[in-house]
Amino acid sequence: MSPRWRKVWRDLTGHRFRTLLVVLSIAVGIFAITVVMGGRGILLREFEAVYAESMAPTITFDVDAADSSVVRAVERVEGVRMAEGRRTFPVRFTGGEQPRGVLSAGWDTLQVHAVANIATARIERTTLEAGRSWPPGAGEVLLERSVNMMSEYEPGDVITVETASGTRATLNVVGLVHDINAFPAHFVAGPTGYVSMETLRMLDEPDYFSTILAVAEGEPTQAEASRLAMSIRDDVLISRGVRVMRTSVPEPGSHFLGDIFRGVSLLLLALGVLSLFLSGFLVVTTVQAIMSQQVSQVGIMKAIGGRADQVTWMYLVMVTVYGLFAVVVGMPAGAAAGRWFTGFAADLLNFRVTSYAPPAYVVALGVAVGIAVPLLAAIVPVRAGTRISVVKALNATGMSGTSFGHGLIDRALGLLRGLPRPVALSLRNTFLRKGRLALTLITLTLASAVVMSVMSVRTSILATVDEVDMWRFDAQFYFALPQSAEAVDRIASRVEGVVAVSSMPEYRAVLSRADGSESDGIDIIGVVPESDFVAPRVTAGRWLEPTDASAIVLNSDVVKSEPELAVGTNATFNLLGEERDFEVVGVVTAGLMGPVAFTPSGYLDSLAGGTGAVTRLQVRTPTSEPTEQMRVARLVEQRLEERSVPVAFTQTQSEQRDQVASQLGILVTFLAIMGVILSVVGVIGLTGTMTINVLESTREIGVMRAIGASHGSIYQIFVTEGVVIALIAWALGALISYPMSFLLLDMLETAMGLPLTFEYSWAGVGIWLVAVVVIAVGASLLPAFRAAQVSVRDAIAYE
Amino acid sequence: MSTPADMSDAVIDLRGVVKVYDTGEVPFTALKGVDLTVRSGEFVGLVGKSGSGKTTLINMITGIDHPTEGEVNVGGTPVHALNENQLAMWRGRTIGVVFQFFQLLPTLTVIENVMLPMDFCNMYASAERPERAMHLLEQVEMADQAFKLPSALSGGQQQRVAIARALANDPPILAADEPTGNLDSKTADAVFRLFEELVDAHKTIVMVTHDSDIAARVRRALVVSDGEIVEETVHRPRTERRGI
Repeated sequence: MSPRWRKVWRDLTGHRFRTLLVVLSIAVGIFAITVVMGGRGILLREFEAVYAESMAPTITFDVDAADSSVVRAVERVEGVRMAEGRRTFPVRFTGGEQPRGVLSAGWDTLQVHAVANIATARIERTTLEAGRSWPPGAGEVLLERSVNMMSEYEPGDVITVETASGTRATLNVVGLVHDINAFPAHFVAGPTGYVSMETLRMLDEPDYFSTILAVAEGEPTQAEASRLAMSIRDDVLISRGVRVMRTSVPEPGSHFLGDIFRGVSLLLLALGVLSLFLSGFLVVTTVQAIMSQQVSQVGIMKAIGGRADQVTWMYLVMVTVYGLFAVVVGMPAGAAAGRWFTGFAADLLNFRVTSYAPPAYVVALGVAVGIAVPLLAAIVPVRAGTRISVVKALNATGMSGTSFGHGLIDRALGLLRGLPRPVALSLRNTFLRKGRLALTLITLTLASAVVMSVMSVRTSILATVDEVDMWRFDAQFYFALPQSAEAVDRIASRVEGVVAVSSMPEYRAVLSRADGSESDGIDIIGVVPESDFVAPRVTAGRWLEPTDASAIVLNSDVVKSEPELAVGTNATFNLLGEERDFEVVGVVTAGLMGPVAFTPSGYLDSLAGGTGAVTRLQVRTPTSEPTEQMRVARLVEQRLEERSVPVAFTQTQSEQRDQVASQLGILVTFLAIMGVILSVVGVIGLTGTMTINVLESTREIGVMRAIGASHGSIYQIFVTEGVVIALIAWALGALISYPMSFLLLDMLETAMGLPLTFEYSWAGVGIWLVAVVVIAVGASLLPAFRAAQVSVRDAIAYE
Repeated sequence: MSTPADMSDAVIDLRGVVKVYDTGEVPFTALKGVDLTVRSGEFVGLVGKSGSGKTTLINMITGIDHPTEGEVNVGGTPVHALNENQLAMWRGRTIGVVFQFFQLLPTLTVIENVMLPMDFCNMYASAERPERAMHLLEQVEMADQAFKLPSALSGGQQQRVAIARALANDPPILAADEPTGNLDSKTADAVFRLFEELVDAHKTIVMVTHDSDIAARVRRALVVSDGEIVEETVHRPRTERRGI
């Protein structure tokens, strides 16, 4: 090896601490990119693969009753590739064996899918993940694996189910399956179970299909799929006397968690790009610091015959080696963290990951960030360093390269009087190397802005969750069959701990559009207009009034999917088998409830025949304590059961909130993880910058110690410098974070199609202030400590 | 001050060299139209007080710094017209530079420091370089320290290595800026004798010094003051002094 390459090697290996720092600075950028972009790449790839493999239906019909001949007729329609029928219905279930007569509170809802043979199903395919019985036999059930996000079930367990008509049966859990088309149990507070048609008979359920799934030929648009659906409905189903309750034509290829998924993906992409910038600035700062340390050596080499291009290559090779080391460190660490992150995301979103290998473009991006970005970043400082004239290079000393006192800031700092001398020195040192300071500030400001924006997006999401809470109940009970309002109100109000009750009718309807087509199902809830159980947030028009009759208030989800509906227009709903006209008087926030409309309960009851029947009961307790709410809820449930009022589903206010929060909570969790990763990037960045600043000031430290500065004074000078830099970055970051978080939230809203409430996180600004000061102290103390240990002679001789 | 010159064997020829530094509000003129001719094999001392302009003058000769006005011709090359890259290559082959603070690269061993100019200028075959470096180190009596790092050497030893490095590409001219300024008198004397031997071996040496004793021992001493050569003293050649 020739002497010049030996010098490169020795510079790398001789300054181990500096090499470690530079490698870490670059590696942290690679790490962030690999985790964020890799995680996104794996999620998208695996999600799409698993979803495509599952053969999601293009059209789903909810019907009253259909047999195999109807399904075959649907399959024969031109444009239909395949069709299958299954029976789906909710039951309540609980773990263990609960014989008839035993009253047991603590039931959950199980969405049962009865399929002829789940193992050979061609549509909504499932995958067996654990267990042996495939397909399940009579008296056996397969549970969707996300059940374990609620409570632990495994093959061999027993569950008791009870149908809406009161039939109770014990089923053996024979396996866990993954069904990407089923709502994850933790999203809807209830899992999905799969049984054979034979098991239906044990449950006294009729063995005809209630759902017909159809997959269209080719790749139709949503409009084409809708036309196909209408044709099947009219020409096949209705003509055969099948009543169609609901026709669902989702956007082709779009999973029901697509909004959340797009949101997560977009956030990851945005943060990945920011990480790229962050690591780029980190590298520029670091390389520039190295060059300024090497300037006198550059002068020597040029004085003894080294050409600028020869010296430039030496430093570019050095930077490449730093980059290679960083790739070796950062890439596997990033891949490991990405694996964990993807696994975590896959569990939350309930999909299988078949391969954790990061996509090739992420590997290429990581290598580019590790090698190309440092090289690009190094070109300017290296060229500047090697093109410096020999005389300037040789005259450079540790305290040089810089002149202080000419600029506006310098003069302003010079005017500051009365500061303790070490503090004054720190302040002036901070602004001594303005180029370096600018780069350091850009890096830290960017990191600060991103972390604070992430906190604001999180706060905004939580604020949105709060808004969802339009109901003012502590517990609510759903009845599978309509019950007498008078009876349930009376039973509930007599339970100890219940201070107020409200019951309401609720019916599924579809909007009849002007062109004759129908909307997806919309729940119409009857409410007492002046009831304090409901606190709607009106965005247009007004809320219901006691004098209203056929007035209806829509939530923003309805308006979004049916844009022709506005305040003052008429809406025709197919409700309980008849067309009913309503006048739209207001619009309220959607609150993640899906498409819902409100009308006076008296009017809705009159449309239902004036039976006084309700399907939902809400109660209030004197406490907001979740466990007490739960206790009272169980008591009410038990009393209702004792009086032969079967409860399909019970939910306390805190459970409902948790359930809503768990959906947006995915985003919050992802944001928290991203915040931590970016904070780490920021921490390493600041530590690196401060360490390089201190290393570069080693000679000054020697001079100061030679003229009597104690270790404490040295620490004070550098810690003050670090804190000043961190505070400036924090202040600038806070300024940028406001529009940045607004922009992120706006992008999130567009991606998810969900209105989110912007709320800036002042707490986040405060938390980051404390964090940044602690980081700055730590980042400056460590290198200052190292520098203070060097003898005065060595410090002055430091190159 | 103009210097006597026999242009036929002049290796260094400066004409009307002016150097102005832009130091802020008032420009500082370090050299005020210097003319200087040095013949091959001369041992020239540039003497003067701190700030007189002697280092600036030697930097003009080595091409380390550029004149604001005037011409610098060294070994027939118009140094003032070369760019930085051409200068580096030219310097590596033509002039060996010795600094007051030695300026050895701290991460290279003694022998590697000596081999570095050969490497940069692609002089001598790769296999030949260690042997040549060792030979030069023997000349300066540093061969036994060849594989040590500079930090393990004394100041005098480092300066010997720096001289060996300056001779690496066998340049005809050596330029030394205060080479003994950082050494004790005994070591300084040893280094000076080394220079004398190099002159005997037909090298041309230009040396900056503020030490009047050292100045008295060179063949030609030029006194620099306030950016001008104000006085010239020519001493008898060493061989004459020794009565050879």
